[in-house]
Amino acid sequence: MARPHIEPYVELDSPFKKFDLNGFKGSHYKVLSMDTDTGACTLKVRFDGGFSRKPGMSYSDMEVFVLKGGIKVGKEVWGEGHYAFVPAGMHLGALKVPRGAEALVMYNDSEPSYVESNRNHQLSLTAGFSSFNSYNDAPWGPGNLVSPSVATGVGIKVLHFDPLTQAISFLYYMSPEFQQNNISYHDCAEESYHIWGDSWMMQFGELPTGGYFWRPPWIDHGAFKCKLGCIAFGRTDSKLHNYFHYNPWATPDENKLRAAAHLYRQRPQLYDWTAGHGHNHPHGPPDFQYPDYQDDAQVRQLHGNTPNSTKPAAKKKATRKKAGASKR
Amino acid sequence: MAQRVQDKKPKRNKTAQSWIDDNVAEQKVRYRAIVKEMEDLWPQRKKWYAEFLKVVQTRGFNMDGDILVKIPKKDVPKEPKRKHKVVF
Repeated sequence: MARPHIEPYVELDSPFKKFDLNGFKGSHYKVLSMDTDTGACTLKVRFDGGFSRKPGMSYSDMEVFVLKGGIKVGKEVWGEGHYAFVPAGMHLGALKVPRGAEALVMYNDSEPSYVESNRNHQLSLTAGFSSFNSYNDAPWGPGNLVSPSVATGVGIKVLHFDPLTQAISFLYYMSPEFQQNNISYHDCAEESYHIWGDSWMMQFGELPTGGYFWRPPWIDHGAFKCKLGCIAFGRTDSKLHNYFHYNPWATPDENKLRAAAHLYRQRPQLYDWTAGHGHNHPHGPPDFQYPDYQDDAQVRQLHGNTPNSTKPAAKKKATRKKAGASKR
Repeated sequence: MAQRVQDKKPKRNKTAQSWIDDNVAEQKVRYRAIVKEMEDLWPQRKKWYAEFLKVVQTRGFNMDGDILVKIPKKDVPKEPKRKHKVVF
């Protein structure tokens, strides 16, 4: 089981809870969505003034988007709109929050973890690190990042792009009086948090400031409207493709079939090769350009193959004991 | 097989497991509340669907970007008899 469909969820009225895990004590959090097996999650975290933490690393890829206030991270200051992608095992400098801050904090592979350390883990893929202010240091681009595309009136800033899965993290806006008269679905999961402003979708109604969704693949959303404008943070877990249609009663199963029918019509050679000739590569076919891609945490997550270490220790022991008992 | 940092993660301790269990339980409650809220929205949503199906015939359906295609009345989908839901 991955993350359930959480849509819409307006978090502003839910209280923060004390964050009592190692490395987070002194902060507060709300869960926006969580993978029920791995503990991978998207949190809204409130760091009260005076919060501090020594340098350290996590065993999960982590993304941070600062909503309010400022966080000193080593020599950097992460202010409002700051985005960071921190690969698993890469150490971050000491955290200091002099006057309080709120941030979206996302752990992509497992539950939040922190190990005090002033060096990187030897296996850390540190080249993937990025850290910049998305409001000041990234340009808005048109919304037609992918084709078929959204209508004019949507702008996008790509903050992170995963070359293996083509998952993206991005800021987007909808302009006042934006409308798009179609129903959309994707073959990837999609997530969004409204930083400011309202938008409307025909299935779910208004999504206001503080509105959030985690939407698994194949689920219809739209038509779309936005009365006064909005700005939001979004992510996908793999390549974004817009499948547009106008049947409000279509089901996810029908949407899957329709997506496969697209592939059949538009990429016939690929469809025939993968589906027509019984090629069986349960862990993914070889890719000469990325020979180790099957080991990538995000790729494994997408195919339900998570690292063993995300399973709880107690359960594994119990399983071993049981196995031992049956042997005897 | 290439090792990743994620493979070196120590076994999850009881505190972390309990933290996950508590939050997963709360998420289930939240999910059920969302499903109920979305079911209650059905009368309003029915009107939105009707309006949408009118718009795609008159103003047009956004096929790609700003390309609008007017859908002929004969191609407009009709509500099926099965139960409809928007949260899965």
